[in-house]
Amino acid sequence: MPALYSAGYLHVPEEIASASEPDDATLLLETARGNRAAFETLVARHQAAVYRYARAIAQNDADAEDLLQETFLSAFLFAAGFRGDSSVRTWLLVIARNAALRLRARNSRASADAQGEAPLAELGWRAGWSQDDPESLAICAQRRDRLERALRSLPPEYREILVLRDLEGLSGPETAQLLGCGLPAMKSRLHRARLSLAAALREGGNDD
Amino acid sequence: MTEPERTVAGLRCSEVLARLSEFRDAELPPELRARIQAHLDACDWCLRFSENFLALLAEFHRQLAMPAPLEPTVHHRLHERLRRSLRHTPS
Repeated sequence: MPALYSAGYLHVPEEIASASEPDDATLLLETARGNRAAFETLVARHQAAVYRYARAIAQNDADAEDLLQETFLSAFLFAAGFRGDSSVRTWLLVIARNAALRLRARNSRASADAQGEAPLAELGWRAGWSQDDPESLAICAQRRDRLERALRSLPPEYREILVLRDLEGLSGPETAQLLGCGLPAMKSRLHRARLSLAAALREGGNDD
Repeated sequence: MTEPERTVAGLRCSEVLARLSEFRDAELPPELRARIQAHLDACDWCLRFSENFLALLAEFHRQLAMPAPLEPTVHHRLHERLRRSLRHTPS
């Protein structure tokens, strides 16, 4: 967009505005200057992804809505704190995660990683490894509703890492940094989460 | 029915199972990756499972990567909260 338009001196013709949507960092910079319209665009762009992540890490949907709202309120109030060392999407997810940790501390609920200690072979067996019908896995995965149900049935730690790594597409190092753990621990949790997803899919495959 | 573990290409089936995600994400050293591939080429049980496991992950991404739009009530409450809370901030 020409400088005169982006500086706000001139009315922006619609065809120019739609041809070059401002990027997230620009919108956040504008938000830090108090530009509500920029903030609303940012919210519209990321609200669905933030809510999905919030639902992955929260104990229930009411908490997830709180996290969604807190995340965007914080993003508006602390927009000037964005340093640009990650994408804006990742920055929003970090805000959501910190809000979730505060909420969890307030509720004094212990983190439940019920399947974390299960031997990997047992988890694999439930996922279809070493069994004579592994094809059932791929068949169940054809159904979006079954995938969503299987994801929802997992512990929050597994939902979170699957959303970050396999849906949001964060890299391994980015995911480890966001989770505050080392790369080997992240890889181990991810593999268990994927096997648990497979197990949940198989076990819930005939529930219709 | 459960298949007894085999050792192929110097790797037991359980060792292959433990590395499948890293194999999928191309995070293994070339030598170990080649040994896992050799195991899969010769062990039909591990091959069948790995193909289906990888197909599941591909399908998971394909179907769910795009987040569902907010439900109207969630959307409304979010924007109401933002409107109320930011009413007194300078714009």
